Amino acid sequence: MTSRRLRWLLFVFLAPTVLLLGTFLYYPMVGTVIESFYKSSFINPNPTFAGFEQYRKILGSRDFREVLVNSVAWTVGVVALQNLLGFGSALLLNAKVPGRGLMRALVMLPWVLPGVVAAILWRFMYDPQLGLINSFLIRLGVLDEGTAWLADTSTAMPAVVFAAVWKGFPFCTLIYLAALQNIDREQLEAAMLDGARAFGRLVHVVIPGLREIIAVNVVLTTILTFNYFDMVWVLTRGGPKNATHIFPTRIFELGFGQFRFGEASTYGVFSILVLALLVTLYVLLRSSRQRS
Amino acid sequence: MSRTWRSRRRRLGLVALELMLAAFVLLPFFWMLSVSLKPADEPFSIPARLWPKAPTLDNFSSAFRPEFRTYFVNSLIVSSATVVISVGLGLASAYAFTRAKLALISALMGLVALAQMFPHSAIIIPIYKMMRGAGLLDTYLALIIAYVSVTLPVAIWILHGFLAKLPYSLLEAASLDNAGPFRTFWHIVVPLSRPGLLATAVYVLIVTWQEFLFALSFTSTKEMRTLPVGLNDFIGQYGIRYGELMASSILVSAPVIAAFFLLQRHFVAGLTAGAVKG
Repeated sequence: MTSRRLRWLLFVFLAPTVLLLGTFLYYPMVGTVIESFYKSSFINPNPTFAGFEQYRKILGSRDFREVLVNSVAWTVGVVALQNLLGFGSALLLNAKVPGRGLMRALVMLPWVLPGVVAAILWRFMYDPQLGLINSFLIRLGVLDEGTAWLADTSTAMPAVVFAAVWKGFPFCTLIYLAALQNIDREQLEAAMLDGARAFGRLVHVVIPGLREIIAVNVVLTTILTFNYFDMVWVLTRGGPKNATHIFPTRIFELGFGQFRFGEASTYGVFSILVLALLVTLYVLLRSSRQRS
Repeated sequence: MSRTWRSRRRRLGLVALELMLAAFVLLPFFWMLSVSLKPADEPFSIPARLWPKAPTLDNFSSAFRPEFRTYFVNSLIVSSATVVISVGLGLASAYAFTRAKLALISALMGLVALAQMFPHSAIIIPIYKMMRGAGLLDTYLALIIAYVSVTLPVAIWILHGFLAKLPYSLLEAASLDNAGPFRTFWHIVVPLSRPGLLATAVYVLIVTWQEFLFALSFTSTKEMRTLPVGLNDFIGQYGIRYGELMASSILVSAPVIAAFFLLQRHFVAGLTAGAVKG
């Protein structure tokens, strides 16, 4: 039985949240869709109704294809490497290695570092004259002189992906480490008694046991990566020649660089559609995990 | 014999992997520190010197210039207000979600969870227009409102995971005596939730302290810039004064890194409770 006073309190507790999320998260979702049907620019700031004109224009444009291809490359690259590295480091830090407690804390450092700081740091790491990466490669004899990794259309995207992997993989480490600690000890010991070597245990016990957490985490990091703005913007602003433009940077540039709110919103709607797909996948995976 | 050999070799392999991981994680930090300690007149060379000949703190004192102090104060105001409001509302809502027995509640809970995944870049234009309409551009309030809105769903999620693990009988029993529901909440639920509140506060602080997109879009004057945006503005201005840029970066990162290490234990437990088992 919930008393009337308790019900009143719970209502008061929930109302500000409902109001805030409704006004500043849900309404803007709808607002973006509406906005995408209106055209405006810096010279012509009053929005005029354009119907699907901007959709047709964007769908037929080279810019859009580039942003789409880049977004896929960026997301797949970052998610795959973050999860592999996160899983590997979690396995390592779950084993009895010396200084494990300290390493578990230190490994989180890149994730705690503010995104803009991480991006500035990597800009510097990649610098053709002063960067540490070029220094190493020259010392190793791989390169004769520094390469401008971020200024070359063929290396910019891998460079940006690598920096983002460094920044974000500790989150995966954290999740997988927590999951590994929950894994069924008995099953592991049984496998050990059966004489399964480390690799066999990994393939036959650990990975199947974590299948669902891995799936959920892959989709979650995909969503976070697809939305991630800071790293690309500070490292390259989408350049050189669009080589690293992804949805968030393109939307920001159109909206706040050129004040073409309508077109920016059309890009926004496309990114919402992609995310809706991912979120559906996430919800399905999560609910199947809870049932099992 | 062969067994000890194998286990020793295995151990050696693990330590080697651990050292590689440490190098991968820490080398950029080491480089940041090294450059921040380099005197302005010591030239860069390629291949680079790993550690300056005569380390100095000069870069730190010049990094701490008036604009930087303004940005720092702005970040501090916006972040602390956001942490307090978001954690407070987060606990209140999480409590309501735990206690209320309405069919509507689980739908509402789903909407909160969904809101965590909204792309900020795709919703920023309507928010910008609202803020502009209300005359809130270039104010702390615009940033605080935006930051509370985007951190609240996660705060609720973490705290809900935390409250769900508290023994329910404790919450029930407390409400049986004649203390009113609010006093029950204040005197029983809030103290019991302390570890969860700390974990959530660190999470909200980490997110807010580094937030870049909203701050970049909603502020335009130097007086209102926060640290991440200010730092990004520095890139051009500094030219090749990398020592100062790295020193500023360290000053920007220090508070969150310190908060993280102080509250690490709570934070990790809270986050994984919400994310893994939730």
